[in-house]
Amino acid sequence: MTHLAATASTIHLPHVNYVSILPILIMMGGALLLLLLSSLLRRIISTGVCTAITVMTSAAAAVAAIVQWDQVLANGAQTTIAGAVAYDGFSVLIQLLVPLALGLTALVADGYLKREGVVGGEFQVLAMASASGAMVMGAANDLIVVFLGLEILSIALYVLAAFNHRRAESGEAALKYFVLGSVSSAIFLYGIALMYGATGSTNLAKMAEFLARRAVLSNGLLLAAMALLLVGFAFKVSAVPFHMWSPDVYQGSPSPVSGFMASVAKAGAFAALLRVFVSSLATQRLGWQPVIWVLAALSLLVGAIVALNQQDVKRMLAYSSINHAGFILLGVDAADARGISSALYYLVTYTIMVIGTFAVVTVIAGRQDRATGLLEFRGLARRQPVLALALAILLLGQAGAPFTTGFLAKFNVIEAVVLTHGYTLAVIAMVSAAVAAFFYLRVALTMFSPVGEFGDGPDDDVPLDPAALVGAATPGAASGVTTVPPRAWSAAMPGIDELADAPPSEVVEARGKVPVPPATWVVIGFCALFTVVFGIYPAPLVDFAQHATLLFI
Amino acid sequence: MLTVTWLVIALPLLGFVVLVATGRRLGEPWAGWLATAMVSASFLVAIGLYLDLLGIKAPVRSYSENLWTWLDVGGLNLHAGLYVDPLSMTMVLFVTGVSALIHLYSIGYMHGDKDFAKFFLYLNLFVASMLILVLGSNMVMTFIGWEGVGTCSYWLVSFWFERNTAAVAGKKAFLYNRLGDVGFMLAMFLTFENFHSLDYSTIFARVDSVSSLNITVICLLLVVAVMGKSAQIPLFPWLADAMEGPTPVSALIHAATMVTAGVYLLCRVHPLLHASPTASLVVAIMGAVTAFVGATIACAQQDIKKVLAYSTISQLGYMFLAIGCGAYTAAIFLMVAHAFFKALLFLGSGSVIHGLHGEQDLKRMGNLRQYMPITFITFAIGWLAIAAVPPLSGFWAKGDILDNAFAARPVLWGIGVFTAALTAYYMSRLTSLAFFGSDRWGQKHPVDPDPWAHHAEVGEQRAPVESPLVMTLPLWILAFFAATAGLLATSGNFSLSAWVDPVFGSSLFSNHLPAGDLWVLGLLDTVVALGGVALGIWLWVSRTDRPALEIPFLRNAWYVNEAYDTLLGRPSTRLAHFSAEEVDLKVIDGAVNSLAGLVRGAGRIVAKTQTGYLRNYALAMVGGVVLILAFMVTRMWWG
Amino acid sequence: MDAYLPILILLILGLLFAALSFVASTFLAPKKKPTAAKIAPYECGIVPEVEPPSRFPVRFYLVAMIFIIFDIEVVFLYPWAVIFRQLGSFGLVEVVVFAAVVFVAFLFLISNGAFSWGPVVRLTPGVPARTSSSTIARISGRPGGPVTAAGVPVSTGTPGQAA
Repeated sequence: MTHLAATASTIHLPHVNYVSILPILIMMGGALLLLLLSSLLRRIISTGVCTAITVMTSAAAAVAAIVQWDQVLANGAQTTIAGAVAYDGFSVLIQLLVPLALGLTALVADGYLKREGVVGGEFQVLAMASASGAMVMGAANDLIVVFLGLEILSIALYVLAAFNHRRAESGEAALKYFVLGSVSSAIFLYGIALMYGATGSTNLAKMAEFLARRAVLSNGLLLAAMALLLVGFAFKVSAVPFHMWSPDVYQGSPSPVSGFMASVAKAGAFAALLRVFVSSLATQRLGWQPVIWVLAALSLLVGAIVALNQQDVKRMLAYSSINHAGFILLGVDAADARGISSALYYLVTYTIMVIGTFAVVTVIAGRQDRATGLLEFRGLARRQPVLALALAILLLGQAGAPFTTGFLAKFNVIEAVVLTHGYTLAVIAMVSAAVAAFFYLRVALTMFSPVGEFGDGPDDDVPLDPAALVGAATPGAASGVTTVPPRAWSAAMPGIDELADAPPSEVVEARGKVPVPPATWVVIGFCALFTVVFGIYPAPLVDFAQHATLLFI
Repeated sequence: MLTVTWLVIALPLLGFVVLVATGRRLGEPWAGWLATAMVSASFLVAIGLYLDLLGIKAPVRSYSENLWTWLDVGGLNLHAGLYVDPLSMTMVLFVTGVSALIHLYSIGYMHGDKDFAKFFLYLNLFVASMLILVLGSNMVMTFIGWEGVGTCSYWLVSFWFERNTAAVAGKKAFLYNRLGDVGFMLAMFLTFENFHSLDYSTIFARVDSVSSLNITVICLLLVVAVMGKSAQIPLFPWLADAMEGPTPVSALIHAATMVTAGVYLLCRVHPLLHASPTASLVVAIMGAVTAFVGATIACAQQDIKKVLAYSTISQLGYMFLAIGCGAYTAAIFLMVAHAFFKALLFLGSGSVIHGLHGEQDLKRMGNLRQYMPITFITFAIGWLAIAAVPPLSGFWAKGDILDNAFAARPVLWGIGVFTAALTAYYMSRLTSLAFFGSDRWGQKHPVDPDPWAHHAEVGEQRAPVESPLVMTLPLWILAFFAATAGLLATSGNFSLSAWVDPVFGSSLFSNHLPAGDLWVLGLLDTVVALGGVALGIWLWVSRTDRPALEIPFLRNAWYVNEAYDTLLGRPSTRLAHFSAEEVDLKVIDGAVNSLAGLVRGAGRIVAKTQTGYLRNYALAMVGGVVLILAFMVTRMWWG
Repeated sequence: MDAYLPILILLILGLLFAALSFVASTFLAPKKKPTAAKIAPYECGIVPEVEPPSRFPVRFYLVAMIFIIFDIEVVFLYPWAVIFRQLGSFGLVEVVVFAAVVFVAFLFLISNGAFSWGPVVRLTPGVPARTSSSTIARISGRPGGPVTAAGVPVSTGTPGQAA
């Protein structure tokens, strides 16, 4: 006991620079406040109030981030709280981007929750908690803090994915996400442990210092640590081959949550990935760069190619987001200042585009998120031209068409990789962009084609649950019941089976205009305008991303 | 004031936007008045800019501004920048001024057209594009304007696209222009490769560091661009066909402004041209030959607008002759003077056509001075001005060019003087046929019908009537300037050369001719002009049919169209058919289709791994972990 | 080596506890083993092929989870209490903040009736998870479209269509 007491007497309390974590504190505080309100009020708290609180919290966090930006520009980058938190332009950009994404998501979710009749503030509380996790990841300068952020981000997301509990897919999505996410977290945590073993610290700055100073004694430990950390990140950003969860989860989750997942979760994970690997493990580049190379190439190709065959727009967007992850990985692969700034620029523009796209999908999908098939978008241009135009802009942006933000984003990452002589990867990226353009344009074309003219009918898509396929193929076969999971049991019920064969076009023709809540209009309009305006005049955004990089430690 | 230079461009652009949004609702005549007001406002702003620029007393008066940075990628640094100096200011003044007048005139001319508002929408967009071309501070801005005017020209030439000839003429204009644009684009690429910038100021500062061969190639490519836009040999046939457009369009685009863009461009890049004597020589020869060929063709045309079109080609040739001799100021002088008198002539011919209800055949006019006195008087001023009869503006402008040519390239001077005689002759022929002689406009069967000329609908011909005030007012104003623009040649502080010369600096050629020589040359020009006029009147005032002077070779424009058709048109049509039926359908489509099939197939196979079972997903993840760890093991052993 | 001694002792203690539990249960449990017929369910006499699923109120899990939260809070409080004096006022404030955060969650649980047994009593009214209309919608798939064989609402292009 004597030595315990001896160490205890030398505790140095860390100096806490509260401004450096102010946006995170605001975000968490907002979540707690809303939770408290919804528990203490005797009436159900109305969705509008929850949305208002969320948006105001986001705005406050964003303002705090702007204050941070000024401070960082004035005082330079530094680490605070015993080196656990980085306070630089890079982290500030994430502190700004995530609240923006959250605010937009909250506005979309407002309409969604009202439509689905979900009450209570839990959705917004979880969203804010999740966002604060992403912000922690953006600012983390210690692997333990990265993990903390990762878990805060993920656990809330698992619940959000299941939020539409009247919909079986929603629960299925959440369960898959949860199980696989836990596995990846465990792998990540193991990576942290090994990294501690290899370098004697989990602090990114100390790790970098250690690695720069001396050759690592047990190289194998370090390599294994990097491999496991990479797997953890690759899962979160859904890079191939750790992408399997994302199509199912995106399709099953409530549409606003899918947008949130595709933007905020990716932003947080990429921020931490960039900081850990490009900055802290820069000296070990030869070890991890080839892995990133393969992940990027696979994500680019698989994302683009599989998306071609999708008939469900949410699924297609999931594959497209895998494809986007591949593009951002190009910036990671370049691993220099230009690579970081291009990856950041891509993240910012992509976040806005994907939230806008999912906002449109949210309103089109209708009650219970049912109508997400490609054919549901048929004739949209005639029914709701403005909505169709906005979606077309957002999709063209994702395809990287000129005069949208997506163009320069793709151009920048490819340029960054070319400048580091990654010609093969650049070629793969360009090929995949060309392939990807096809499926974005297909949706656009579907919208502008009149009902009953376009279409090759439903393709042989991958089932969300193969049980349904098996069940449908053997209707009423009692012996089959034991071999298929329980959800296929209802296949034994005659009648329902026939309903399933109703041609989709009948459903489509019955559709009129879908109602678009005003708040969702604001989001769609903002995202589409952002995509076009900064596509034509990208200078401020590019500047922003470049400054965020320069202050990077 | 100079800080609002962007307003000059923004005003017509605003007009365009407003007309796009509300044109149909505004309808006639408010759409026209709106467009006119926008361009006039732009002109007023331009005057303000001019006064401001006068206040700058630097060796080169100039003002430049970066509106915003377009792109900053790698070495390529593109600004949306404006550059105002005496050269661009001169262009801006006369472009906005002449455009305002022609807008006003169009309100009368387009009266009753079903697409009244659309016409003004195009005109406004054209003016905005032309101003971007003129004011751009780098080649990309110029190119954007260059393409913009080309596009507007296409829309306006085929404005009456229900008429097949108009649609075809628009296409033709567009294609010839595209040929030139390829030259422009290649020139831009080469410039960026050699100068690492597209900003004019940067390019000019680095002229010494680039090999003269490269500069020559860049200049020659720019000359190709100019051939297309300014209708020089060999890319000139489109301009005559472009007369299918409404007459104000011919006046504005195909006489006063757009076709002079080539002249402006070559003046803008004068340091490059100065550094490349070869290119200068090419420009001079091209100009002289075009001037001569254009004039000969104009002598035999029967359609009033075609005469003027070939005359424009010929006059543009003079301008390039001047540029090729290094006499940029002279080229600008003729460009300004030409803008006035050619716009005047076109508008006058438009007034004639309007008065004759669509008749364009010279042989079916005659004696119009009795019926359309205002048109006649103003037209006559334009006629004598272009014929270079002193003291009208043409005499001074053309004389200036010929003096410089005499000093620099005597052979080309000879061609120029001969062409001057031809010019006086064919313009007199036109005037005699249209305004003198006997009334022929009532005849049902014209003498020697010209298959190319437009005829009014056969039927009852009403007597020609004078045009309304909105049309005659611009005529008066233009006539005034056509007569007095020669004052720019005076040697005072406000003369054109005192204003523009500093821009060109050392690139400018100075002829150093003694005063005696200048007098002799001036006298010679006068004699040639008066001789041509006398010959034209004597031959044509009382007779309409002189086949010996209208040989088919000239009437068919040296058979250039036919030559292109035989040499290029038909073989490429055959090639196109072959490509479409054999290469595209079988080779390319086949390859693309099978590739697409391959990709989709691959997608299906990969999609098969997406089973939906959690255990398979977890397995894939573990597989990934194992693979990455295996790779790391190889690193450990062999890394 | 000294530093690892407590861990070793803890390990031995843990093993001893586990072993003791087994041994104790062997001694304390009734000696007679039940026959096969005695443990079989006897509703209708058919021998079941698989173990029948045992139903368990989900409330037990809830309570267990809530317990874990407060358990962890206590885990934090212990080391804090040990070095309470060294941490001073800063430590006190931090722990109060931490406790407050957990307390907010606690309030939320109470308001949702997580601790009330028997019929659900919610302090804040909620919307029932399933109403007759939602049940009809689940089964028939109306309104909003047909339902796949698996009882899943169809989004066009899911396997129900392809099959």
